[in-house]
Amino acid sequence: FVGVGGGNDFQWCFSQVKGAIDEDVAEADIISTVEFNYSGELLATGDKGGRVVIFQREQESKNRPHSRGEYNVYSTFQSHEPEFDYLKSLEIEEKINKIRWLPQQNAAHSLLSTNDKTIKLWKISQRDKRAEGYNLKDEDGRLRDPFRITSLRVPVLLPMDRMVEASPRRIFANAHTYHINSISVNSDHETYLSADDLRVNLWHLEITDRSFNIVDIKPANMEELTEVITAAECHPHQCNVFVYSSSKGTIRLCDMRAAALCDRQSKFFEEPEDPSSRSFFSEIISSISDVKFSHSGRYMMTRDYLSVKVWDLNMENRPVETYQVHEYLRSKLCSLYENDCIFDKFECCWNGADSAIMTGSYNNFFRMFDRNTRRDVTLEASRENSKPRAILKARKVSTGGKRKKDEISVDSLDFNKKILHTAWHPKENVIAVAATNNLYIFQDKIN
Amino acid sequence: MEFKVEAHRIMSISLGKIYNSRVQRGGIKLHKNLLVSLVLRSARQVYLSDYYGGICLSAQQAREWCEGEYMASKQGKLVPGSTESLSESDEQSEVAVDKQEPRDVVESPAGLHVETQASGEQDSAENGVSDSGCSDIKTPEESPEATQTCEVASVVTAISSNCISAPSPSDPKEETETPTDCQTDNSESAEKHSYEPKAPQAYTNRKRTADDSELTDSPTKRTKLTSTSLPSTNDENKGETEEMDTSNVSSLITIFGSSFSGLLSNKEGEQPDSEAEDSDSGQICCDQMLKNLNPWSTAIVAF
Repeated sequence: FVGVGGGNDFQWCFSQVKGAIDEDVAEADIISTVEFNYSGELLATGDKGGRVVIFQREQESKNRPHSRGEYNVYSTFQSHEPEFDYLKSLEIEEKINKIRWLPQQNAAHSLLSTNDKTIKLWKISQRDKRAEGYNLKDEDGRLRDPFRITSLRVPVLLPMDRMVEASPRRIFANAHTYHINSISVNSDHETYLSADDLRVNLWHLEITDRSFNIVDIKPANMEELTEVITAAECHPHQCNVFVYSSSKGTIRLCDMRAAALCDRQSKFFEEPEDPSSRSFFSEIISSISDVKFSHSGRYMMTRDYLSVKVWDLNMENRPVETYQVHEYLRSKLCSLYENDCIFDKFECCWNGADSAIMTGSYNNFFRMFDRNTRRDVTLEASRENSKPRAILKARKVSTGGKRKKDEISVDSLDFNKKILHTAWHPKENVIAVAATNNLYIFQDKIN
Repeated sequence: MEFKVEAHRIMSISLGKIYNSRVQRGGIKLHKNLLVSLVLRSARQVYLSDYYGGICLSAQQAREWCEGEYMASKQGKLVPGSTESLSESDEQSEVAVDKQEPRDVVESPAGLHVETQASGEQDSAENGVSDSGCSDIKTPEESPEATQTCEVASVVTAISSNCISAPSPSDPKEETETPTDCQTDNSESAEKHSYEPKAPQAYTNRKRTADDSELTDSPTKRTKLTSTSLPSTNDENKGETEEMDTSNVSSLITIFGSSFSGLLSNKEGEQPDSEAEDSDSGQICCDQMLKNLNPWSTAIVAF
C-alpha cells in the first residue's frame, strides 16, 4: 500500500542514505541506475563514473526489531571504463545506463550492466571460508619439498573475513551502433534483449560473439527518421513477448514467434493526442522515457515527461489509468526546454503487488500513486528528513496564486535536484530513491 | 506577433542545442537531437505562418515570384539573381529571405563554414528543397551579419562538420551508412581541410552564376512544391518591416525545412547522379552544396 497517510496509518520512514554529503557533487558519483534483485536482498546502483555498488540487506536482528535489515555495502567494482572509438572518433561514456539482475542459480549473484555500447555480465561471489592444511604447500603458499612430506592430512575449511569479488564473465560488445538505452532479462533465463535508439537485439547469455537483431526501425534514408526507440522490456512470463516504446509516445508489443524480425508489431498502443494541449513541445513531452511490465504481466506502465500511464495489454487505444506527476510544469515547458530539463528521462516502478506505482520528479520529490484508492502522495528525499525512522511528510506544490504554508511554489523548485531513478523492493515496502549522488532508502512503518 | 517572437526564440535555442550536441561527451545523442529538430520544425511553422501573415504582396514581388518560379523550375534550387535586388527592401519575399541566410552562412569569415558545408553536402543523401519552397542557394545578397546569423552559421558548420568522412561512396545507400562513421567526428579531418581552398572558389563562381541567372547544370529538382507553395504564401503577404536578424534566422529555418525528414523537402529521385558526381570532385560537391544547402539533413545523415 502506498501510504498516503490518514486512516491507514501507513507511512514512509527514512531508513538510510548512502553517498557523500558534500555539496559539491562530482559528476562521476551521480547515480544513473538503481535495481533490486529478485529477492530484494541485494540493491545495485550504477553511476556515471562506470562503477557499480551493491548493497546487501543485513539479516533482521532480534535486538533491533524496529529497524528492518539495513542495506550495507556488499561489493564495489568498476564495471565500465571510458573508451574511445577510434574509427568514429567517438568517446564512449562509461556511465552505467542500466543494471539488471539475473535470477540466482547458485551461490553467486549475477547481473548485467551496460553503458552506451557494451553489456557486461558480472558474477559476484563471496568467500567466507578458506582451506587450511594443504599437503603440497605451506600456509603462505610456498611449495613444500615433496621429500619432506611424511604424512597426509585433510585440509579443513576455516572461516575467514568475508571477501566479495566481482568478475566479468561475459562481455557483449560491438552490437550497437547507437546508444543502448535498455536491457531486459527474459523469463527463460537464457536470453536477454538490449535496445538502442533504432534497434533491439536478442542475446543468449552464454554467447557473446553474436546476437540476433529482432527490431530495426532505422529508415533506409536517415533523413526520414521520425522516431526512435526509447525503452524495451521482456514480458515477465511470456518469453516470446516484449515491448518497446518510442519517442512518439507509442508502445509496440512484439511476439518473437511471429517472425524473426519483429518490425511489425503484434499490438500497437497509442493514446490519441489531445489537440487542445498542443504546443511546440508536445512531441517532446509525449516521448516515453520508461516502460515497465507489472509483475503480473497483465499491465504495463509508461512514463512520459508529465505523466505515468498504466496500460492493459488487452486494450491498445488508450491507457486504463493516467496519473499526473507534475502537471504544473506544463506552463513552464519553454523554460524547461531551455535548461534541458525537458529531456530528463524519468523512470517508474511498480510495487510487488502491482497496487502502487512510483516515479520521480524535481526538487528531490518523488510521487507515489495507489491504483486502488487513486490517492497520491508527494514525498521528498532530503538530508533534512534524514533522522532515523523519521516519518516522511507529504509535500505539496502550490499551483494557484495563493501559496499555503508548507507548500512550495513552482518557481522555487530546484530543477537540478531531480529524481530519475527509483526502485521498489519486490516483496516489501522498501524503496530506494536516487537523488543525484545520494541513495535514499525508505521503509514503511505500520503503527 | 508574440508567437513569432517566441517561435524565433525557440528556434535560436534549438539551433544552439544542436550545435552544442556535437561537443558533448559520448557523441551526438540521436534521440535528443531528433526531439530538438521536431521543436525546431514546430517553431518554424509557427514563425513562418506568422511571418507571412505580415508581408504584403507587391507587384514587384509578384514579378519576382514568377521569375523565381520559372528559374526554380528550370534550375531546381537556383534562385535567379534578379531577386536579389529585392533583398534590401523591407518587403522581402520568401525567396529573398531564404537566399539571405545561406549566403550569410557561406560568407561567414571562416572558410571552415563553407568547406564543412561542402563536405557535409557531399555526404548528404538527399538534397531536397525545403518545402517552404525556397531555394537554399546562396545569393549575393547583402545582409548584415546578425549575431544570430553567426550563431546559426556556426551551428550549420558544426552540423556539417559532423559529416566529414572518408570519400563518400557513390552508392546512396552506402552514403547513408557512411555518416555513421562521421557521426561523432567532432574533430576536423583532413578531408575537411582539403575542401577549404576549393569551396570559396566554387562559391564565388556560383555567386556569379546566380548573378547572371545562368542555368546551372544541376539536375532538375522537384520544384512542384516550391512553385506551388510560393503563390499561396504570397497571397498572404503583407507589408512588414523585418529586422535583419529575424529574417536571417527565418530564412535559415526555411532552409532547415519542416521536419527531420522534411528538412529536405522531398525525396529527390534525381539525386543519385549528383551524388555520384559528388564523390568525384570537391568542386562539384561545392556546387551541390551551394545549390542545396541543407546542413540539418547532413546532420541527420550523420547518424
